[in-house]
Amino acid sequence: MSSLTSCAEGNLKLNPLHRAWQHFVSFLFPSDSDTWLTVLRIGLGLQVTLYALFLRSDWHYLFASSGKGLVAREVGEAITSFESPLIPKFGWLIAAGRALNISEETVLTVAWVGLLSAGFLLLLGFLSRPAAIVAWFVHLCASESGGLLAYGADNFMTTALFYLMLSPLPDRYSFDHWVAKTKLKNPKTLGFWRRVLQVHLCFVYFIGGLAKSLGSGWWDGSNLWRSLIRPPFNLVSPELLVQFKYVLPLVGISICLLEVRYPLFIWLKRTRWIWLGCVLVMHAAIGLMMGLYLFALIMIVMNIAAFGVPSASSGAEMVSGPHQR
Amino acid sequence: MHFFLLTAVCLGGVFWLIAQGSTILPSACNEYAHKAELAATWCLGKTASASNPLRRSIATYLHAAGIQAGYSFFAPNVPSHHQLTLALFYDDGRVEYETPHVRSKAAALRLDSLLDKLPEQRYESVREALVKMLVLSVWREHPDVKKVRATFEAVHLPSATEFEQGKGETLEPMFSFDFSLRKEKQE
Repeated sequence: MSSLTSCAEGNLKLNPLHRAWQHFVSFLFPSDSDTWLTVLRIGLGLQVTLYALFLRSDWHYLFASSGKGLVAREVGEAITSFESPLIPKFGWLIAAGRALNISEETVLTVAWVGLLSAGFLLLLGFLSRPAAIVAWFVHLCASESGGLLAYGADNFMTTALFYLMLSPLPDRYSFDHWVAKTKLKNPKTLGFWRRVLQVHLCFVYFIGGLAKSLGSGWWDGSNLWRSLIRPPFNLVSPELLVQFKYVLPLVGISICLLEVRYPLFIWLKRTRWIWLGCVLVMHAAIGLMMGLYLFALIMIVMNIAAFGVPSASSGAEMVSGPHQR
Repeated sequence: MHFFLLTAVCLGGVFWLIAQGSTILPSACNEYAHKAELAATWCLGKTASASNPLRRSIATYLHAAGIQAGYSFFAPNVPSHHQLTLALFYDDGRVEYETPHVRSKAAALRLDSLLDKLPEQRYESVREALVKMLVLSVWREHPDVKKVRATFEAVHLPSATEFEQGKGETLEPMFSFDFSLRKEKQE
């Protein structure tokens, strides 16, 4: 009798833990449609295509070896190799090309064409996963070989392509699905990868907002002023900007609050659309007023894919058809 | 594991900013932040030897996932802008001024990113070599130049009030190098 009582007490004690675990699992693996994946695929297809086109005239100049380009590719690769020799870089492809009697210039051209083609293929959804892998690999090589020339947009592109590559492609709006009639994926797997993207964005904004909040310049507007008149981001004339100098502190504080509170208000149904709208406006403004077009686009794509598409559990359509488990 | 590493990278970055004393937090926090930064660094395996397989595996994963750097862009404050001016000396006494350049705006953003990294302590060992390469990129377009003086400057921008009063940007020379075809000398 006493053992039965202790067993029942044990079950009661375990129940809250068990319930918490169930909540955690259902948070990690919600059922979702693949519409968000379509947005991510097409958005990244556009991003990769624009990235390749924007750099077409300087591609060889940026990644050429010593004595041919802006700075020798080998310097960036040496710094990367110090961290780990296993990180992909153009040096690998060029060494492979050399073994096959292919010049460095040809290898770099093939890499650029491969990146552009992967961008187009992602836009169409044709050979979605191979295209995502090629885009991730070539872009990573470019980011690491030109590590000294990289900036924030490159990290976000790598992350987004990394998630896309691992996500359950193809989606139902892709050419792959239309032609090959591929099976649609498990809604819980789709939900999981969307959760990963959502949680990642919460990290991005919380840390970004926290770090900004620690600087005095974001509270008095001076950082916003400096970021907008700082070359090469000075697209807006300072004469025009100075007329709004009393608004700058308010905008600076708003940016800090918007970012640091993102992980809370983006999850609440009542505030989600307001927060998402404000974040999208902020990134569009960064793109248009500072000329950071690729940075703005990747952030807009990631935000819309993560939070802009209604999830299946909130009443949107579920994935239909046979599921691949 | 993915988000554990991401947390370590992000917090490490924030603690580094605090430890540098560049935030509005009292200086008493700097020491604690430094210890916390070391803890985050330890989590990422960076205290192990460079050839340690675990350290290399973590670094590879971080780079592959694009999470090797934190997200403290333009924080806690917007850093100064930097420029590299090259004085090209010809045999006939002419002096022309040039800057390293690229064709597209997208690549120009990257060149500016490189120039802003040059003053950082971690690039001290490769700084002269990088400046030399940038000089060489311009020298190739002016093969008859005999000597190049590369001057690296921090550009301090005026505040909004100073701008209204007519004050412009001020330049603070940080270092300069002289390059010639036969010999190189640092000033």
